[in-house]
Amino acid sequence: MKIPPLALVLLLPGLAAGATEFTLTVRDARGNPVTDAVVSLHAHAAPAVPTPSADVVIAQEDKEYDPYVTPLIVGTRVLFPNRDTVQHHIYSLSRPKRFEKPLYASGTEEAVVFDQTGVVVLGCNIHDWMIAYVVVLATPYFAKTDADGRARLEGFVPGRYRLEVWHPRVSKPATRELTIDADSNPALEISLNLRPERRIRRAPENKTGGY
Amino acid sequence: MTSPFRFRRFRTRLLVLLLGLLGISQAVTYVLVTRANRTTAITAINEALARGVNQFASIAERRKADLLLAARLMAADYAMRQLFLIEEFSPATARSALESYQERIQRLQTPVIILLSPEGALLADTRGRTNEGQRVAFEILRAQAEASDFQEATGYGFIADIFSQMVMVPLLAPPPEVVAWVGLAFSIEESTARELKKDSALEVSFLTGGRTPRVIASTLSAALAEELARKTNAKEIASTELDLNGEPYITTLRRLETTGGEPVWIVLQRSLEAELTPSRLLERIILFVTLASLALAAIAALWIARGISRPVQRLAAHTAVIARGDYTTRLQFDRIDELGQLAEGFNRMSTGLAERDQVRDLLDKNVSPEVATQLMRDGAALGGEEREVTILFADLRGFTTLSESLPPREVVTLLNRYLDRMSAAIEAHGGVIDKFIGDEIMALFGAPVAQPDSADHALAAALAMRTALATLNAEFAAEGRSPLAFGVGINTARVVAGNIGTQRRLNYSVIGDGVNIAARLQSLTRDAVHRTDIILSAATLEAATRRWRTRPLGSVLVKGRTGTLSIHALEQQTHP
Repeated sequence: MKIPPLALVLLLPGLAAGATEFTLTVRDARGNPVTDAVVSLHAHAAPAVPTPSADVVIAQEDKEYDPYVTPLIVGTRVLFPNRDTVQHHIYSLSRPKRFEKPLYASGTEEAVVFDQTGVVVLGCNIHDWMIAYVVVLATPYFAKTDADGRARLEGFVPGRYRLEVWHPRVSKPATRELTIDADSNPALEISLNLRPERRIRRAPENKTGGY
Repeated sequence: MTSPFRFRRFRTRLLVLLLGLLGISQAVTYVLVTRANRTTAITAINEALARGVNQFASIAERRKADLLLAARLMAADYAMRQLFLIEEFSPATARSALESYQERIQRLQTPVIILLSPEGALLADTRGRTNEGQRVAFEILRAQAEASDFQEATGYGFIADIFSQMVMVPLLAPPPEVVAWVGLAFSIEESTARELKKDSALEVSFLTGGRTPRVIASTLSAALAEELARKTNAKEIASTELDLNGEPYITTLRRLETTGGEPVWIVLQRSLEAELTPSRLLERIILFVTLASLALAAIAALWIARGISRPVQRLAAHTAVIARGDYTTRLQFDRIDELGQLAEGFNRMSTGLAERDQVRDLLDKNVSPEVATQLMRDGAALGGEEREVTILFADLRGFTTLSESLPPREVVTLLNRYLDRMSAAIEAHGGVIDKFIGDEIMALFGAPVAQPDSADHALAAALAMRTALATLNAEFAAEGRSPLAFGVGINTARVVAGNIGTQRRLNYSVIGDGVNIAARLQSLTRDAVHRTDIILSAATLEAATRRWRTRPLGSVLVKGRTGTLSIHALEQQTHP
């Protein structure tokens, strides 16, 4: 299936100079807010990528990955604690980080360093429905949309940036060139064309009579 | 113009009629039964064909489900994911893995398992080198799967030149991320045809191609399958009759689209003859019953005809006997049916005719033929009518003395000879003998048959009697007997003529004064003074139209009558 190009709609002209933050709202083609979209700002004058300050945790709890989407700076170490009573088997067939952590026990923890940018899809060989996305970025300016589809970016200096918006249901991140002024306080609204939801539904547990 | 259905013999007619009717009804029954059987057979086959089409669909559906299940399990298999975890994808390893899967699902007769990249590039297949056509077929299927909501596609195609069912499922790791596509092809040739035949008792063939289809698989013999391919047009047909080696098959043709190839025709058939086999037995039984009943009908017809025509022939022969006047022969029929009644009727008729003949004979002898005729025509009703008649009385002279001198038998013989001659003379002139009173004759002229010239007849008769007596006397003289003499009285008067007497016994006669006068005139001939043997009254003379030689005898007093009566003697006539 061809994924239609991402449409970026600027509702307010220009961004005020001197502002160090602005807010985005991501909506789908129907106008509904999109949760778990990753928005990031990439500086043109490729600055040095900051060293990640802390580890990130993606837990395996109740036979699900938590969180579903994790944006992080390249080089970040991710800890995978197994909080379930069953074993899990993390694997990734994604080019930026191919790996597997075969069957490891409840209560233990595995760590993986994501050292290449790109999207890494995590699965579990035991539980087909378990899925998590790790978005490895070469910028410290990123955020994840909340339930209202809103994300807040801050801490950057005014200048020219490339805005990238990614979501599990798009094949490529959508991009947009922006010039950000210091004193403006812009509010941006972005519309995404999402693929149909194909996440498999988890089998209901302990509800129907067993075999 | 003679109709062909005119028969000289009743037997032939009855035979033709019975056999004809029975033959027609049996033929109609046979034709109707045969037709109904054929229609029923065709309907049954058409239903079987429709069921066969559904059975094929359900077999295909079931196998597709099996295949999909196998493909899904395969695609989700741990080993399959491992192939993509290693840094450098190894097609040889992938191929051997696919062959290992092929072993696992051997029962499904899967000729090919193929692995395609998310973009459709060939990663590996079980044959090592899938030809371009097959790869295209799988690629089309992959594109269909990608476009569908369930990311799966199925279809028909030719894989490794084998007509196959195909499925395409994604390799999701983890779902919904498509890492690769897994395609399976499944041979549905001979085994499917055989399975379908086992379930439906139909002949199953798969053909492919456009104008000149070729046989892929068939439960028919190779020769019949080739003939089927030659006779098949590339067209869907719900039901048609197709001859294979001269035997009709009810046939249905369904088109199956293949992925990236020529269409496939599934042909379901059943032999009409095979379907009709049970009906043929019924038809043979009907035929046998028909022939048997025709034979029985022929025998019955001949028997009935014999039972009717023989007595009829006897009756016909008997009519000839009766026509000859033989009323004594009787028909002997030992039967009580209509023919028996008819024979009885014939016999009663014979009896009746005999009696009537006898009666008529006696009547003729006792009364004159004219009276007899009148009696038979008008019946013996009492009563009479007034009319003018001439009455003649003739009395034999000296008969009393004669009867004394001769034996009675001879007297009667002589009397009869005399009466016979007289009667002949009277009747020759249209007279009617009314009665014989011993040796006396009473005769009538003008009754019962009216005669306007009754007087002339009576006079002519009297003269003839005189001549006849002379002739008789000449015979008597020759025999040495003494001659006879008579006296005749003739009178013409109005009298009442009719049947006189009682209901049980009656005579045709005339009553009236004129009768007595005639009798009196006869007795006057005894008087020698008149010198004549024939005396007639003036009334008779007046009534006569011809000229007669008479001699007036003057007037006489008649007993029992007031006044006189003028009488005449009849002379011998000079002219003839």
